[in-house]
Amino acid sequence: MKCLRALLVAGELSARRGSFLKKDLLQFQRSSSLQNSRLLPVRSIQLSTVLGTSNFTVKNREKHDKESTNQSLMKTEDLFEATSIHEKTKATFQEAVDIFCKRDIHRKGHVDFIYAALRKMPEYGVEKDVNVYNKILDVFPKKVFIPQNIYQKMLKYYPRQQDCGVHVLEQMEHYGVMPNKETRSLLLEIFGDRSNPVRKYQRIMYWFPKFKHISPYQVPTPLPEDPIGLAKLSLQRIAADLNAKVTVHQIPHLEILDSEKVINHPHIVGIQSPDQQSLLASHNTEKPIFLEGPFRLWLKSKCVYYYVLRAEPSEENMVEVIDPERNFYYPMHLDIDLERDVLDDYEFDTDKVEEGPVFAMCMAGAENKATLAKWIVSLQETNPILHDIVVIFRLTHSTQELQSNEEIEEDNARAQAKFFKQEV
Amino acid sequence: MSGLGLLLRVARTALPPRARLFRTGCPRPAFVKELFLGNFQTKEVLPYPEISNEELEEINHFIAPVEKFFLEEVDSKKIDQDAKIPQETLDGLKNLGLFGMQVPQEYGGLGLSNTMYARLGEITSQDGAITVTLAAHQAIGLKGLLIAGTEEQKKKYLPKLASGEHIAAFCLTEPGSGSDAASIQTRATLSEDGKHYILNGSKIWISNGGIADIFTVFAKTEIVDKDGAVKDKITAFIVERSFGGITNGKPEDKLGIRGSNTCEVHFENTAVPVENVIGEVGGGFKVAMNILNSGRFSMGSASAGMIKKLIEMTAEYACTRKQFNKKLSEFGLIQEKFALMAQKAYVMESMAYLTAGMMDRPGITDCSVEAAIVKVFSSEAAWVCVSEALQILGGLGYIKDYPYERYLRDCRILMIFEGTNEVLRMYIALTGMQYAGKILTEQIKELKKKNVKVMWNIVMSRLFSSRTASIGLIGKGGGVHPSLKESVEKLELNICDFGKTVEALLMRFGKTIVDEQMTLKKVADIVINLYAMTAVISRASRSICIGLNNHDHEVLLANIFCTEACFVNNYTMVSLQKNSPENLDDSIKKVANQVLEKRAYICSHPLNRTF
Repeated sequence: MKCLRALLVAGELSARRGSFLKKDLLQFQRSSSLQNSRLLPVRSIQLSTVLGTSNFTVKNREKHDKESTNQSLMKTEDLFEATSIHEKTKATFQEAVDIFCKRDIHRKGHVDFIYAALRKMPEYGVEKDVNVYNKILDVFPKKVFIPQNIYQKMLKYYPRQQDCGVHVLEQMEHYGVMPNKETRSLLLEIFGDRSNPVRKYQRIMYWFPKFKHISPYQVPTPLPEDPIGLAKLSLQRIAADLNAKVTVHQIPHLEILDSEKVINHPHIVGIQSPDQQSLLASHNTEKPIFLEGPFRLWLKSKCVYYYVLRAEPSEENMVEVIDPERNFYYPMHLDIDLERDVLDDYEFDTDKVEEGPVFAMCMAGAENKATLAKWIVSLQETNPILHDIVVIFRLTHSTQELQSNEEIEEDNARAQAKFFKQEV
Repeated sequence: MSGLGLLLRVARTALPPRARLFRTGCPRPAFVKELFLGNFQTKEVLPYPEISNEELEEINHFIAPVEKFFLEEVDSKKIDQDAKIPQETLDGLKNLGLFGMQVPQEYGGLGLSNTMYARLGEITSQDGAITVTLAAHQAIGLKGLLIAGTEEQKKKYLPKLASGEHIAAFCLTEPGSGSDAASIQTRATLSEDGKHYILNGSKIWISNGGIADIFTVFAKTEIVDKDGAVKDKITAFIVERSFGGITNGKPEDKLGIRGSNTCEVHFENTAVPVENVIGEVGGGFKVAMNILNSGRFSMGSASAGMIKKLIEMTAEYACTRKQFNKKLSEFGLIQEKFALMAQKAYVMESMAYLTAGMMDRPGITDCSVEAAIVKVFSSEAAWVCVSEALQILGGLGYIKDYPYERYLRDCRILMIFEGTNEVLRMYIALTGMQYAGKILTEQIKELKKKNVKVMWNIVMSRLFSSRTASIGLIGKGGGVHPSLKESVEKLELNICDFGKTVEALLMRFGKTIVDEQMTLKKVADIVINLYAMTAVISRASRSICIGLNNHDHEVLLANIFCTEACFVNNYTMVSLQKNSPENLDDSIKKVANQVLEKRAYICSHPLNRTF
C-alpha cells in the first residue's frame, strides 16, 4: 500500500514540472489516501491529435520550444505577471493562456495553471466572461481523460483533472456565469459524458435558467455609469410608484467665481409622487418636517445614499367618514349593524409600526447641508406649502470609505438636530 | 307636418284627462328588494300590467304619425355623417310634441304615462342620435323641474320646454367628477344682495350642451349646518343661457350617436336668481339621484324597438341570400342567431313594460332598482344582438354604405351613459342588500350568538318547509298558465335559493360587503335574471290566457330563456358559496393586481429563452 502511494506521488511529481508546493503534496497524499480503494496507474499524458483548438504554425512551435525551456521553470503566476506588466485586461489574460498552451505540447502542469488562472481572473476583471472560462477549459488536453472501458467509467478517471474541471465550473457558478454551448462541447471533448464536470455542467444548466428571473426587482446590468442615471434608477426602485416623478434639481457643474475660486455644484435628483404632494399639502404647518439621511441602498456591489423628507406620525386619527351623499349612483356605506364574520376575515394580525408619512426623497452628489437645502428650495416650486413649514435636518454621517467624491464638512455635527428655517 | 302635430295635440286634449300625475296611497314594498329576502310579491307582477282600451287607442293615434315621420323624413345616414341633426328634422320632432312627452298637459306637454312614453321610445329609437337628444332633453334635462320644481318654476319653464322652443340639458359630469359628488368643482356663491348665485365652473360631456337654452346645473354651495359648521353641499339650479357667461366647447367627435350634440359647458360668473334653485339649497344630491334613477327605464323599450327592426332587416337578407344552393336561413348557426335576437328582444320588452306598468300604478313605488335592471339587461342584450346581426350579414355589416355598422356604434353608448352598467350593478346589489340586511340583522345576530332556540327554529322550518320551494304561482289561486309550469318551477327554486344566498352573504360579510365588488356583481346578475324570468313568465302567461296572436311562440321564448337563466343562476349561486371551487375571484384579483402593478402585460414572450 505504502509503496504504491509513493509510486503515485512520484508519478505525480514527474507529471508536474511547474511550481510545486509542499502543501500541494500533502494535500495530494491526503486525498489519495482517502481514495486508496481506487488507485489508478499513472499514465503519462498521451498526445492527442486534437490538442487544443488553437492552431499554431510550425514556426511558432519551434520558437516556442526555445522559449519553453526557459519558461518551463517559471511559476505559473509569473506567466501572468510577465504578460501584463502595463495593464491587466482580457487581452493580456488571454495572451498568458495562449503562451501556456503554446509552450508545451503535452500541456504539462495544466492543472496548476488552471487553478492559478482562476485565482487571477478577478484581478483582470474577466471573472464574469464566459468566453474566458471556455478559453481556460481549452487548456485541458482533449480526449485523454475520457474513460475507455467500464472499469474506468466506474472509478473516477483522472480525479485531479476532473476536480479541476469542476472547480472551473464552480467558479463560474460563484460569479453567476451561465455556461454556453461551447462549454458543453469542450467538457464533453475533455472528460466525456457522465464525468463529474459534465454532471456539474448539467446541474448548473438545470438551476441557472430557473433562477435567472427569480427576482421581480432586477437591477439592470450593467449599472448606469452616470450618477444622475444611477440616482434615477435607485429612486424609482425605492419609491415603487409608477406615478412618482423624478426631477433633476441640479445638474452637476463647476462654477468659477471672480476670485478664481471654483465651486463644485453636485447633482441633486429627487422623486415625489402626486400622492406625496397632496399629503404634504395637507400637512399641519405648525409641525416641523424632517430631512433624514443618508440611508444606504445597495445596487449589486454599488452603494448609494439617499435622503427622505418625512414627518412624525400624526396623533390625529385620520378616520375618513364617508359622506352618505358621496356617490350619485350607489351607496358607499351600508347601514347594517353586522360586522364581517371572523372566518371570513383573512387579514393577518400584524404588529404595525407607526411611521410618519414620507413626502419626498432625493440623492445628491455631496453630503452637506448646503446641497440638501438647495433641494428643499427646489421642492418649494412644486410644493408651496414648504415655505411655511420648518424643515429640520437630521443628518448622520455615512461610512466614509464607501462614499466616493465626498467632501465632508468638518463642522457638521453628527446627528445633531439643527433647525433650518427656510428663508425665501 | 306642424298641422299634423297640432291636430295631435288637439286630439290629446280632447280625450278625457286621467289623473296620471297625482298618485296617492301608501308605499308598497318594491318587488326586486323583496326578492333579496326570498319573497315573491305576486301582486306586483301578476297579472302583467295592461292599459285600457282607450289608452291603447290613444297611443296608437300617436304612434302612426311618428312612425311615418321617422320612416320618411329622418335620414339617419346623413345625421351620422354630418354629426348634426338638421333643423327641419328637429322642427318636425317639435311639431309632433316629442319634446314634451312626459310634461303634463297643463304645461303644454303630451302628459304621457310611463307606459306610453316607453311605447313611443320604441319608435324614436330608429335613430340613436335623436333618441339621445330627446332623452337628454326630457329624461334628465327637464326632469328636475318635474320632480322637484316649484309651481312658479314649472309655469315659467315647462311650456317652452315641452314645445321644444327651448331645449334642456343636464349638467352634472365634470372633468374630475363622474360618480363622485365630493369632487365637484363648480361653485355657486351667494351674491352680496342675496338675490343671485354666482355660478363658476366647467362641465364636460353634456348632451345637448351646445344647443340647450335651459340647463339643470349642479354646483357646490356653502351651507351652515345645524350645529353651525359651514359645509359644502350640492345644489341644483335652473340656468338659462340668457343669464350670460355660458360658453361651449366644440362638439365632441364621437364613435356613435354622432348626430347628438355633446360638448363642454363653461359657466363664468353666471348670475342665477335664487328662485331658480331646484328643491332646497343643499338638496341637490337627492335631486340628481332621483333624476338619474327615474330616467333609465325607457332604455328597455328603446333597445327592443331597435332590435325588432334589426331582426326584420337581417331576416330579409338571410332569406334571400343563397350559398351552396341553400338560403342562409336554412343553416342552423344562422337560425340560432335569430332565435337569440328574438329571445333577447322579448325579454327586454317584457321587462320594460312590466316596469313601466309598475311605475304607472297608483301609489308611491320606488322602482329605481327595477329601472336599473332594465337598463343593464337591455343595453347588454342590445350589444349582443347587434353584434350577432352583423355576424349574419358578414362583410355587409361592416360596410359604411349599409346602416348596420351605425347600429353597432350607436348602441355601444347604452352600456356607458346614464350610469355605467358596472355602477348600476353595484346599485342593484347594494340596495337589495341594504333592504335585506335591515330585516335580517336581528336573526343573524342571534345565530352568531349561537342562540339555540333561533337555530332550532331555522332547522325545523328548513326541514318541514315544502321541498319544491313553491310560491304557488301555478295551480289553484296562482296566476300563471300551466304551460309555463317548468319555467315557473325554475324561477321558484331560484328565488328560494337566492334568499338563502343573500342571508349567507350577509352573515359572512356584514356591512363590509360594500367592498366585495365581485361578489356584488354576481348578486346583481342573479337578480337581473330573476326579474327577467318573472317578466317573461308574467307576460307569456297573460298572452296565453287572453289568446294573443302567436302566444305559443311566446311560450317557447319564455321557456328557452328561463331554462338558460336558471342554469346560469344556479352556477352563480354555487360560486357564491364559501370556499367554492367555482369561485375564481381571488385568482382574478391576483392577476389584476400583478398586471396593474407593472401597468402592462407581464408574461414573457413565448419565444423568449433563458439559456
